[in-house]
Amino acid sequence: MSIQNLIMSLQKYWADQGCYLAQSYDLEVGAGTMTPDTFFRVLDKRPWKVAYVQSSRRPRDGRYGENPHRVQKHFQFQVIIKPSPSDIQRLFIESLVALGIWLQDHDLRFDEDDWEAPTIGAWGVGWQVMLDGLEITQFTYFQQAGGLEVFPVPVEITYGLERLEMFLEEKDNIYDLQWSEDVSYRDLRFRDEREFSEYNFNQANIKSLQESFALAEKEASQLIEKNLLLPAYDMCLKCSHLFNLLDARGAVSVTERVKIIAQIRALVNEIAQKYQSSEAST
Amino acid sequence: MEFLLEVNTEELPSSHLKIALEEMREGFEHELGSANIAVSELRVLGTCRRLIVTGDFAPEQPDREEIITGPPKAAAFAEDGSPTQAALGFAKAQGVDVSNLEVIKTSRGEYIGLKKIEKGKETSKILARVIPQIISSFSFPKMMRWGEGTFKFSRPIRNILCLFGGETLSFSVEGITSKDWTIGHKIHSPQPVNIKSFKEYKEALKERKVIVEPEERKRIILSQAELRLAPLKAQLHPDPELLERLASDVEFPHVFLGSFPEAFLSLPLEVLSTALREGQKLFSVVKGKKQLPNFLGVADNPGDPRSFIQKGNERVLKARLEDARFFWATDLKVSLKQKASGLKQVLFQEKLGSYEDKSQRLKKIATYLCEKVDAKKICQQLIQAAELCKADLLTEMVREFPSLQGKIGGLYAKEEGQPALVAQAIYEHYQPLSLEDESPSTLGGALLSLADKLDSFVGVVGIGFQTTGSSDPFGLRRNAQGVCKIILDKKLSLSFLRLLDKVILIYGEKFKKPKEEILAYCQEFFIGRLQYIFEKQGYRYDLINAALGAGVDNIYHSYLRLKALDGLKSSPQFEPLILIAKRVNNIISGQPASTINPSLFQEKEERELYSTFAIINKNIRPLIVKGDFSQAQKIIFRIQSTLNNFFDHILVMAKETRLRKNRLALLQAISKILIQIADYSQIVVEGEKAAKTKD
Repeated sequence: MSIQNLIMSLQKYWADQGCYLAQSYDLEVGAGTMTPDTFFRVLDKRPWKVAYVQSSRRPRDGRYGENPHRVQKHFQFQVIIKPSPSDIQRLFIESLVALGIWLQDHDLRFDEDDWEAPTIGAWGVGWQVMLDGLEITQFTYFQQAGGLEVFPVPVEITYGLERLEMFLEEKDNIYDLQWSEDVSYRDLRFRDEREFSEYNFNQANIKSLQESFALAEKEASQLIEKNLLLPAYDMCLKCSHLFNLLDARGAVSVTERVKIIAQIRALVNEIAQKYQSSEAST
Repeated sequence: MEFLLEVNTEELPSSHLKIALEEMREGFEHELGSANIAVSELRVLGTCRRLIVTGDFAPEQPDREEIITGPPKAAAFAEDGSPTQAALGFAKAQGVDVSNLEVIKTSRGEYIGLKKIEKGKETSKILARVIPQIISSFSFPKMMRWGEGTFKFSRPIRNILCLFGGETLSFSVEGITSKDWTIGHKIHSPQPVNIKSFKEYKEALKERKVIVEPEERKRIILSQAELRLAPLKAQLHPDPELLERLASDVEFPHVFLGSFPEAFLSLPLEVLSTALREGQKLFSVVKGKKQLPNFLGVADNPGDPRSFIQKGNERVLKARLEDARFFWATDLKVSLKQKASGLKQVLFQEKLGSYEDKSQRLKKIATYLCEKVDAKKICQQLIQAAELCKADLLTEMVREFPSLQGKIGGLYAKEEGQPALVAQAIYEHYQPLSLEDESPSTLGGALLSLADKLDSFVGVVGIGFQTTGSSDPFGLRRNAQGVCKIILDKKLSLSFLRLLDKVILIYGEKFKKPKEEILAYCQEFFIGRLQYIFEKQGYRYDLINAALGAGVDNIYHSYLRLKALDGLKSSPQFEPLILIAKRVNNIISGQPASTINPSLFQEKEERELYSTFAIINKNIRPLIVKGDFSQAQKIIFRIQSTLNNFFDHILVMAKETRLRKNRLALLQAISKILIQIADYSQIVVEGEKAAKTKD
């Protein structure tokens, strides 16, 4: 099964469970959780079911295409269902069966792992799902987002597509995966990884990153005042990615790191509060 | 009647499972106890997906007899034996005929009255009420909500099976109604199965790939491990914590043997076993002391006939080891010394500064310690170790495997040619991580660890953090216990107060709190920890208090005092001495201090006591300095008969002031020696216990 077949299978499966199939968000994010289709939708009280592929950028994880597992950009398949159904674990297990994995022959384990995303004031309780020792999915019951308690409780299932594909193809090297029948992961991503690793670690201009960060941060504050919460949140996402780049460049000390994360979180928390109260009044 | 409860959940963390089972047991013991329901064989057991309680409970509460007393017998019957108005009135008020009244004997005489029998309630009714309460009152270190509920638990509850005497016991917890069925293994047998008894439950679940007995799962893991390793003539690298965790994480264990390329054996054992254990929870395999390129894994599956599980794990492990090798090589490119220069950037604690600041303090504390415990020889190297010990916080390896901190620094130090003492001190300076963990094997490691823990402890106290309840967010308890353990294990004899004082001095301007306040808090905290440690070692609490009451400035000596008391507690001289010591204390309590004037002793008995005191005083001092409290205690025994004689013949509170003051002065001096051995007033003796229960 190629990655694109994997994606199509998961889309079909979760669409059949009533999920709306969203498209990737068009800004750099570190995880599918950070896109508005998750972040805002978990804050209100309405039911919500969505599934989508999201490319996730983690500049520090770049390895110039030389490491068979680590990449600075990978793909997640994100599912959010609110409220979490009582048979959600079964639904998840069935989704693996639907991929043709004969689970009787494997070791599927839910291994304690509480997820947390400090920049967006979010945390949840759950597991990393291990299949024969390989982490394929993060399974989380959200408890807070934007610093606020979430109710009803959404469940988030984040499949690591490359991981899952490596399992399905029994491959040791990410670049040997098939995206489609005749396009490999190497064809699509190798040059990308090499160039971006060089950019992330050595070339990104620290001064302009810092300036961009300051601009985006300022704009976020101004937009919050004008109650333009989605644009304000976009600015926060930009801040977050700029911060990750600065971090990869080694331009953030440990002390500053804590401070910057707190800055972004404060903005996001403010957005979340305004969003929640405006949703409560409609 | 047989009781069976199974709370079916999504995967509980193994630490939570342990808590849940303890709370389950306490909850049932408490509720059944207070309802007076007879219980035999209450058992709690579980897997990561099941909390199970079973036992044999009486079908109902015993009937309760209530006696209601009325008027005295004399007032209840007239001379002719007919009931008086008082008796008739009482019967009416109780709603019974006067003929139902009977005579009740009390300590105050005979009364008439009534025995009412209150029928005991059915156990099932009581259980249905209390089980939801028990389950709702669980408290986990981290709790969650799910769905649309506000109920909090460790992980979602999905089903409840509850039987009493083979019948469903009905109740509901947060919308989940109890049933007479459960489900088997989540992959192999997720369909419902009806259950009638615990025996049937165990069998039905075993068929459905769930072994409910934790001990049985552990046994299976160990016996299969042995089987797999027999052809290699190799052994499992023992890891009780991992075994415990795996035994609760899987419902049907299968042990598989895997291997990794031999080239990775060039990595240190510590790195290999951490990569194995922390990523995939695999056991290392050793032959004698040699690590083999093999591992054992435990799968939640009846078998692995096509080796998918083994091969999958091998693939993941290989990737992980490749990473580890990459980190090892990368880290070695930059010396520890160079890395340590980056510690300025790494925050230890906001108000206490960076790890660079910490290293500087450690150097000073280590120097002080070397002086005090007669280890000046190693001082220079220990300072070097203090300077480098935190450098590994900036390594890739610690970023990936935080639990390797310290150890990996030690390994890098050895690799780059630092002296063995330096490398070993760095390696061991986080040890012991808990009371169960080993103290550092070398004096250098022990002193560096002591310095590090004390620095953290005093720092956190100095800026005003305290522990509350059972939480220990700043590691105060952990650090204090580590300090005590090292001092006791390494038999370090030094003034603890002066050491604390030194650490506070080294912190200098960082603290806002006055020094006395910090010292007082630290001291009290350490007394609490020592009590805890000694109690855990099985010493009697009153002996502990007696030993600690004699002073904790020298922690090792307070242990020696306790050991001396414990060793002599059954000696025939022990209790008489304590009684007489208490007598001494009672007499001198509240009296102003005075000085002995030997010429004023008139009677034989007081002269004798004075001379015995003088001899004992002289003999005992060097023993106390040495810490030989056992011998000191034996010498003290000798004072008892002279003291007895003294009390029998001498009136301490003599009318003449001079004489009285002089006798009191003698007793005060004796008391001062006694308190250096133990605070005898804390010790409970048999005679007193009996007296107390009579009260």
